[in-house]
Amino acid sequence: MRRREFVALTLPSVLVMFGFMLVPLYRTVEWSFERVSYGQAGTFVGLQNYLAALTEPRFGRAVVFTVGLTLVVTVVTICLGYLIATLVNGLGRMRPLVLGILLVSYVIPHVVGAVSFSWLFDSNFGGVANFLLGRLTGGDVLWFTDLWPNRLIIALNVIWSMLPFVMLMILAGLQGVSRETLEAAQIDGAGTLGRHWHVIIPSIRGVLGFAVLISTMDVLRTFDNLIPLAPQAVGLGNESIMLYIYNVAFREGAEDLGLGSAISVLTILIILVLLYPSIRSILKEAKEA
Amino acid sequence: MFDHFWTKAAAGCLVAVSLLLTGCGAGSRTAANTATEVACDFTNPPEPVTVNVLAYNSSAVDPFTNTMVASCSHDNVTLEHDPIDFAGQVQKTTATLSGDSGTYDIIESYSFVIPQYGSEGKLEPLDPYIEEFGDKYGLDAINQEMLDSLSYEGKVYGLPMQAQMLVLAYREDVFDELGLQPPTTFAELREVSQAIQDAGEIQYPLALPWLSSSDIGTAYKAALGSQGVDYVDPDTREPLFTSEESRTALEEMKSLVPYMDPQVTTFDQPKVQQQLFNGDAAMGIMFSGRMVDLTKDTNTEHAGDFAFAAPPAVLEGGRQYGALSVDGWSIPVNTQVDKRLLFELIAASVGEDASRASIPAAYPAREGLVTEENSPYATAANEAIQNVPEPAPFPWVAKMSSGTSEVVAQVVTGAIPVEEGQRQMQEIGEQVMAEQG
Repeated sequence: MRRREFVALTLPSVLVMFGFMLVPLYRTVEWSFERVSYGQAGTFVGLQNYLAALTEPRFGRAVVFTVGLTLVVTVVTICLGYLIATLVNGLGRMRPLVLGILLVSYVIPHVVGAVSFSWLFDSNFGGVANFLLGRLTGGDVLWFTDLWPNRLIIALNVIWSMLPFVMLMILAGLQGVSRETLEAAQIDGAGTLGRHWHVIIPSIRGVLGFAVLISTMDVLRTFDNLIPLAPQAVGLGNESIMLYIYNVAFREGAEDLGLGSAISVLTILIILVLLYPSIRSILKEAKEA
Repeated sequence: MFDHFWTKAAAGCLVAVSLLLTGCGAGSRTAANTATEVACDFTNPPEPVTVNVLAYNSSAVDPFTNTMVASCSHDNVTLEHDPIDFAGQVQKTTATLSGDSGTYDIIESYSFVIPQYGSEGKLEPLDPYIEEFGDKYGLDAINQEMLDSLSYEGKVYGLPMQAQMLVLAYREDVFDELGLQPPTTFAELREVSQAIQDAGEIQYPLALPWLSSSDIGTAYKAALGSQGVDYVDPDTREPLFTSEESRTALEEMKSLVPYMDPQVTTFDQPKVQQQLFNGDAAMGIMFSGRMVDLTKDTNTEHAGDFAFAAPPAVLEGGRQYGALSVDGWSIPVNTQVDKRLLFELIAASVGEDASRASIPAAYPAREGLVTEENSPYATAANEAIQNVPEPAPFPWVAKMSSGTSEVVAQVVTGAIPVEEGQRQMQEIGEQVMAEQG
């Protein structure tokens, strides 16, 4: 490929990345050191925003909640995703139909899915799940105001929306596993579990690492699911980092862009720390390949 | 071959249906067909002008927006309005007012934000235009109190279209059966709630919008206002969260909790409405714009059973547990369109015909239009508006409300004691006032 063609083909991506990623990132870092009001030039305040964020217990609670949610959801989606992908992989002509149905929860916008999900537990709007559980247990669960029930429905909803994507990636990985190797393992006497543990999982380790990476990044950015599912998120301590940033930087009457930017920068650092093992593992695998 | 054809046909149908549904659900950039046509005789500008209008969609605001868009889009002027919800409007207002030029030329504003934007010089003072066009558009009929609510430091920053005030909706059939009268104080509200609860039919008779992230701030302010005080002493600029009135407000609010759904701090107005629709509650206090929905039998089987009254006072002899929220039109300072032209457009939309057509969904700003004949909650609304707490047009109100609402929720649910809540709120209040300079 000639140099001119290379430049012509890559320039749009470079411009888009510069305009939509680097410029906002630069402004976020800049504002994190300033006191900023909408439409006005910021005033340099040094590390004041970072100090405010790090000494605010609400930020700590948001980090603990978000990291906890990420760990739980990632583990569950990877395990369930693997299980469902294995089942789907064994299907014949029904596979496209089943896949199509499974992908519904992934293509529905998060906030729409979360509203519908919240109605399952809200007796004001039918509350089917609430009704059935009430019948079974004889008591009412306060899904929106009690800490752990609320965390449970948040986690269930995030898993519900994330699972198809993880399952799809793992399914792609499963389809690449050599049939000959599997047959050889079977001839050597490996059972179903043994084949999964010693053959399939090591073969798709790269795909699983990538699924963990994407899943971690997505769950760390949980925001819109919480609007309908956790209306009392702040008081309960079920506020995600992204919701906290929104509440600090954009909510009517708050609008502290400097503090919001500082929390955003800290969040980027947290995401990098959490993703480090996945990124390292993927890079190592790429080197070995 | 056969399968292939039918797969393609099915996929084609699916795409067509999706596009059709998307088109139907996406809203429209033109005014509704039902918009009232009024005279909108502005001086035609020499060049074509597009006026972008920012206004959230609701049954109370739509009649005014639709009238403006439908009636004033002629000659060289084209008005454009995209459907948007209230939260979207809040975000876009902040964005459009932030720079030297904005996206919108006319914005829907309300009494809560006028002091902030007025003090920041982001809205055009409308007094000279009211003076110039007052006779032409009959603006002297607009309620003075509503005009004051959209003013800051003596200047009008919003032309009122309609107001919403807290109104008590109650199930007349339940009250009649138990021989109850609409409560006029919080003590009576507790008695009535207890009587309904004791009757055994309705477990949680009272429904109030006390969403912890927003509505409960309005509720606390209403409880303060009922005792004649606000967040801050306007003379000394001292926050009043540790005052006796604040303690009373919090304790009185807390005293209502046993009569409400245990998840009340997650209830916004639509959820309260839903409780009343379902028959899960016998009383609700909401802004008047929500009331007409209760009377529609397409919404609830209890439509014919609702009656309306002014809300009770927190203490006997006090003002109502009330709030007045006035919606109006404002002109951003940073618009590039001729402001005289813009004022004529907004003045035409709040004319008598448009205002009359907005009833009963809205309570228009023009005096004397809402009567018992045209609005089921007219008497309650007219009484409520006479006795609402004094307006508090200060730039710190939005920040105070936003900053303290979660603490109020913690207090009323018993998560923290009243004194601790007061202390935390006072700290937030002092911080907000320090930022005000």
